[in-house]
Amino acid sequence: MVLDEKDNRNVWEKIGDYFSANSIWMKWYCTGCGAIELPPTMTSRYDMERLGMGPMATPRQADVLLITGYLSTKTLRRVIYSYEQMNSPRFIVAFGSCTINGGIYYDSYATIGRLDKYLPVDLYIAGCMPRPEVVMNGFNELIKMIKKGQAKGWKHYQENYEWYKKNQLDSLGEVIIKDEFHE
Amino acid sequence: MNSMNNTINEIKAALKPLKMETPAFRQIAVVVKPDTVHNALSYLKQKGFTQLSIVTCVDWIKESEFELVYILFSWTEGIHIQLRARIDRDKPVMVTATDIFPGAQYYEREVHEFFGVEFTGNEDAAKPLFLEIWDDLPPLRKDFDPQAYSDSKFPMRERGNEFVSEIGGHDDE
Amino acid sequence: MNVMSFVYGFLVLLGVFVFQTTLTGLNRKVTARLQKRYGARWYQQFLDIFKALRKDSTSHGWVFDFGVIMALGGIMATVIFIPVAGFEAFPGLDNIFVISYLLAVGMLGMAMSAAGSGNPWASIGVARALTNMLAYDVPLMIVIFTLIFAFDSSSLSEIAALQQGMGILGWNAFRMPLGGIVAVIALLGMLGKKPFDSFIAPTEIASGPMVEYGGKHLGFMFILHEFMTFIEVSIILSLFFGGGATIWEYMLKYAVLYTFMNIISGVMPRFKIDQAVKYFYRVPLAMAIVQGLVVIFTGLGVTLWF
Repeated sequence: MVLDEKDNRNVWEKIGDYFSANSIWMKWYCTGCGAIELPPTMTSRYDMERLGMGPMATPRQADVLLITGYLSTKTLRRVIYSYEQMNSPRFIVAFGSCTINGGIYYDSYATIGRLDKYLPVDLYIAGCMPRPEVVMNGFNELIKMIKKGQAKGWKHYQENYEWYKKNQLDSLGEVIIKDEFHE
Repeated sequence: MNSMNNTINEIKAALKPLKMETPAFRQIAVVVKPDTVHNALSYLKQKGFTQLSIVTCVDWIKESEFELVYILFSWTEGIHIQLRARIDRDKPVMVTATDIFPGAQYYEREVHEFFGVEFTGNEDAAKPLFLEIWDDLPPLRKDFDPQAYSDSKFPMRERGNEFVSEIGGHDDE
Repeated sequence: MNVMSFVYGFLVLLGVFVFQTTLTGLNRKVTARLQKRYGARWYQQFLDIFKALRKDSTSHGWVFDFGVIMALGGIMATVIFIPVAGFEAFPGLDNIFVISYLLAVGMLGMAMSAAGSGNPWASIGVARALTNMLAYDVPLMIVIFTLIFAFDSSSLSEIAALQQGMGILGWNAFRMPLGGIVAVIALLGMLGKKPFDSFIAPTEIASGPMVEYGGKHLGFMFILHEFMTFIEVSIILSLFFGGGATIWEYMLKYAVLYTFMNIISGVMPRFKIDQAVKYFYRVPLAMAIVQGLVVIFTGLGVTLWF
C-alpha cells in the first residue's frame, strides 16, 4: 500500500501511538522457516526486550503478527484466522523473501506468491533468512512508523476488506478451515 | 551376514519375486506383482518386519506406470525391505494395507492425494490430508505443471515502480 | 470510618499501583541481568499497561466482561484493607480472615471471567491455578494458624508490631525459621513465580486463564496482577518480616523480598502441576507441622529463644 505523509491524528492518538510504538508484543507465526533467527534476537546477544518487544502466547494479546517465511495455502487460512482475532491497532511484519515474492517457492503449487495481496503488511524484512541484525533494524523501522502514525495496515484492511477478501477467495477457494479437527 | 542370506533365500522362496537386489548394506529390494502385495505384506509382518516406515509412489510417466514402494523394517534383524510393485498409471488401483498395518492409513491418504492412487478397502483414503481444497490434477504427477498452476492461482509481484515506491516511502533519515 | 478513610484508600491504591508497577519494571531488569541481557526500561511495565488499555478489545459475553470488573473491584477493595507501616484505612479490620475472604471475591471473578471466555486453555489454566492454590495453602495456613495461636491475634498490623523493636532477630522468620522458609516457598506459589507457574505457562497452555484477553481486558488484568502481587507480598511481609515501622522501611523491605522472589524465579525451571502439589505436600507441609508442634509444645518462638 502507498504511504501518505499527511498526519491527521489527534493528540490522544499520538499519545496512544507512543505507547504502541514502545511496547510491541508479537505473535510469532513460525510454521515456515526462519523461527531460528528469533531466539538470538530475543536472548542476550541482541535482546529485543530493551526496545519493549516480546513474544506473547496468543493473537488476542499481540500487537504484531510476525510471519516468518513461506506460507502454504493451508497455513494462510490459519494466518487469516489469527489476524482477524487480533485487536486493533494491529500490525503485520512479514519476514523473509518468500513473503515478498514467493522466494525459492515461486513455482510451487502449494505456497502463495506475495502476502500483501491477502493481508495488509506494514513492514517487510527481506533476506533468506534475515539475520538478527536485520530483524532488529526492521523493528526499529516499525517503531518509527508507528510513532509517526504511518503503520496503518489495519485501517487499510478495514477500508478495503472486499478487495482483500476477493483475493483470498480467488487463491484459496474458501477461507473457512475444514479439517478433521474442525468437523 | 548369514541371517541376511537366510532372509533373502526365505523371501525368495516365499514371495517368488520378479526381481530382487540389495541396494545397500542390510537393505533388500523386492519387486513383486501388484496382486501379490497384500499377501507379501502379511507374510513379511509375520516374518518380523513389524514396522511400516513409509508407503510412497514413483511416477514412471514414460512407461505409463506408478510404482508403489512399501518400506518395512525388522527390529529383530535390523533389515530394511523395499517392497515395490508397478501398477497401471491410467487406472491406478491397489488393495489397502490398513488391515495389516493400521498406520498405513495416513500414507495411503497421502499417496491418494498426491498421485491419485485408489486404495480398495480403505474408505478414508479419499479424505483430504494436506491439500485442503484441491481442484486440479494430483500435484506430484509428472504431467502436472506447478508453474502454470502457481501463476494462475497466486498472483506474483510485478517488478516495477510499485516496489521501489514502497521502500522509498519511509526512507527519510 | 470517615471521609479520611476513603481519601486514604484512594491514595493507597494509587501509591500501590505506581510503586508495584515500578518495582515490576525494575525486576524485569533484574531478571534480564541474570540472563546477561540489558533488559527493559524501568518504566516498561507502565508502557505495556497503558498500551493495552489503549487497544480495542474483544468481548466474549457479559460474564467475561463482568468477571474482569468484579476481579479488579474485589482485589482493589482488598488492597485498602492491607495495613502499610501502621497506617490503616479501616482500623481494626486488617484481620487475616477478612483479607482471605475479600481476596476470594477477586479470585472468583478471575475464574468466572476466564471460564466465560469459553476457551479450553482457560479452563485448564483455572483448574491448574486452583490446584496450585490447594497445594501451597495447606502448609501456609498451618504456619499462619501457628502464628495466630502463638500471638493470640489474627490482625496483620498487631502481629507486625509485635515483631518490631527487637532488631532483625525479632522477625517471625527468625523466631520460627521453619515457618519462615515455608512462607517464602508458599509466596513463590502465590505469586505464580517459577517453579510454580504452570498455570500461566505460555508455551504449554497459551498463558492459561489469560488466553482470550486482549486490549483493555488485558490491561485490566495487568493492573489486577500488580495489586494481587502487592497483597500477597504484603501478607508475608507483615506476618514474617515485621512489616515496617516507617513507610520507607516498609517499601525497602518489600522491594528486597519481591526482588529475592524474582531472583529465585529467574534461575528456576518449571514444575508440572502434579510435581508442584507433591512438592508442597512433602517438604513444606512437613516443615509446617514440625514448626506448629514446636510452638505448641515448647513455646519456642513465642518468647525469644536465643
